[in-house]
Amino acid sequence: MTTLTSTPGGAAIREPAPPATTGRTGMPRQGGTILAVPALVWYAVFMIGPVIAIFVIAALHWPGMLQPVSFAGLGNVRTVLDDPVFWDAVRNTAVQLAVALPIMIVCAYMLGYYVAQKPPGHRVIRYLLFIPGLISTPAKAMVFYAALSPDGLANGALQSVGLGSLTDAWLASPSTALACLIALDVWSGIGFTAVLFAARLDSVPDDLGEAAQLDGAGHWRTMWRIHFPVIRDYVGVVTMLQFLWTLFGSAQHVLLLTQGGPGSSSTTLSFLVYQKAFIAADLGYSQTVGVILFLAGLVGLLTIRRAFRQNY
Amino acid sequence: MKLGKRWLPAHLLVWTYAVLLIVPLYYFLASAFKSNEEIFAHPFALPSSFGLGNFRTAYNSADLGTAVVNSALVTVLALALTLLLALPAAFALARSTSRLASAMEKIFSLGFLIPTFAALFPTFLLAAATGLFHTRLFMVFFLPATAMPLSVVILVQFMRTIPREMEEAARMDGASTYTVLRHIYIPMCLPGIATVLLLNFLTFWNEYLYSLIIIGPDPEQRTVQVALPTLKAITGTDYGVLTAGTVLTLVPVWVVYTVLQKRMQQALINGAVKA
Repeated sequence: MTTLTSTPGGAAIREPAPPATTGRTGMPRQGGTILAVPALVWYAVFMIGPVIAIFVIAALHWPGMLQPVSFAGLGNVRTVLDDPVFWDAVRNTAVQLAVALPIMIVCAYMLGYYVAQKPPGHRVIRYLLFIPGLISTPAKAMVFYAALSPDGLANGALQSVGLGSLTDAWLASPSTALACLIALDVWSGIGFTAVLFAARLDSVPDDLGEAAQLDGAGHWRTMWRIHFPVIRDYVGVVTMLQFLWTLFGSAQHVLLLTQGGPGSSSTTLSFLVYQKAFIAADLGYSQTVGVILFLAGLVGLLTIRRAFRQNY
Repeated sequence: MKLGKRWLPAHLLVWTYAVLLIVPLYYFLASAFKSNEEIFAHPFALPSSFGLGNFRTAYNSADLGTAVVNSALVTVLALALTLLLALPAAFALARSTSRLASAMEKIFSLGFLIPTFAALFPTFLLAAATGLFHTRLFMVFFLPATAMPLSVVILVQFMRTIPREMEEAARMDGASTYTVLRHIYIPMCLPGIATVLLLNFLTFWNEYLYSLIIIGPDPEQRTVQVALPTLKAITGTDYGVLTAGTVLTLVPVWVVYTVLQKRMQQALINGAVKA
């Protein structure tokens, strides 16, 4: 932080390199970069600092808030890797990402394309699609809790169409708990993502699609062969965001709906970080998983970036 | 573009999804006026009466009144602090062409890649170390930091569109840096400020996990999002009360959305995809 306060040095560098704007560099700019320092300091103290601290705590043996702390080196890594619950969490997170992400992105892209063609009722659709994006996590969880509880909406619907035998305690059954969490992600994610795609597709010139149609391309072809490559970059960015939200955000849904259970059937990595820190009070373990999560996020981002790189 | 008959499957699928979005919400809204027995017996029926009993129970048993005030307080103060920090920063970064400034800008935009959630426990330690644990005040300090990357980047982009000549002319008239910011930049990037405010309003109001850990369960301090899930336990899962409580917390956001629909969508689109 302190190194950044040497602002005058920055002002002194008046580069000959052409600035992006209309480049009249002759004018003195009093009170320049220093104005950005408070925001940066604030950001460093509350965000960058804690993130660095994750890595430090991960190397500590710290069995509880009031317990003595000792240096553990890589000891936590060994504990974590030897713990079957961790591997359950890895598997659950992998399943969650592998199922939710492709469904969400593909459906949202097609939905966004649909809305961007302005079919009848697209205004209503647009309004509705956005609703999950507005609802807070606890509220979404309460909606799903009420819908999936034994006396809830899903079972009520099954009973009323004569499929009573299919009813289940969805959130409390080891075979469906994780699926419910994925359903919640997909349910709320598609709409919001579709709005993002629609907005981007709106700015693709109309004649591009029209030209393709004159050449005999159907909508399916136009959608995937013409429009998709044009906004490929954007799809990549949105995929990265959804990836991060799913990877890190799942802790809240798990906490509110299943507490990771039954057993560890719905424990995800990010919930494990929470659970070990605030319930089991094994802080070194928790933050070691945090570091692993962080690295997983980084690897995922780079992979997605590569996959969506423009290649024409 | 003409949409032919072959679009029928698409129409059907899209409207099915729309129904999937509406039905749980309808169920929710209808349940808010029903008793448990009514909900279980006729989940899809319209409520037989529109009594506000459930809302009153929810409001009283989870101290939602206090919680709403707390949420509003945290949200408004954090929004003010966000602007106070982000506006001068964006102003400086938008005007400067120095290498240091572009490095700073890069640091801010890298912030998008730091998931807030990752640092929950260290932030908790920070709150404890500053003596602000279990206070709303820490959230007021903390939330702007999480909003900084997005706010700065969006504001910088708006400020870059302001022609330099405006500032030069003002300088000729002897305007100070502060005057330039106050009288030229801020009025001219009001749309950007609105975007930042709406976006952050939504995230601050809806923030859950950090509020849960940092502010904690004290009914005097906690926000609506923290108070809401407690209804599940308090009421022994009276679904009518639970849904009524949830509906109450959604009202502010829903009102803002309906009034500012266009602007809100634009804000979220700008925000989600780092403009």
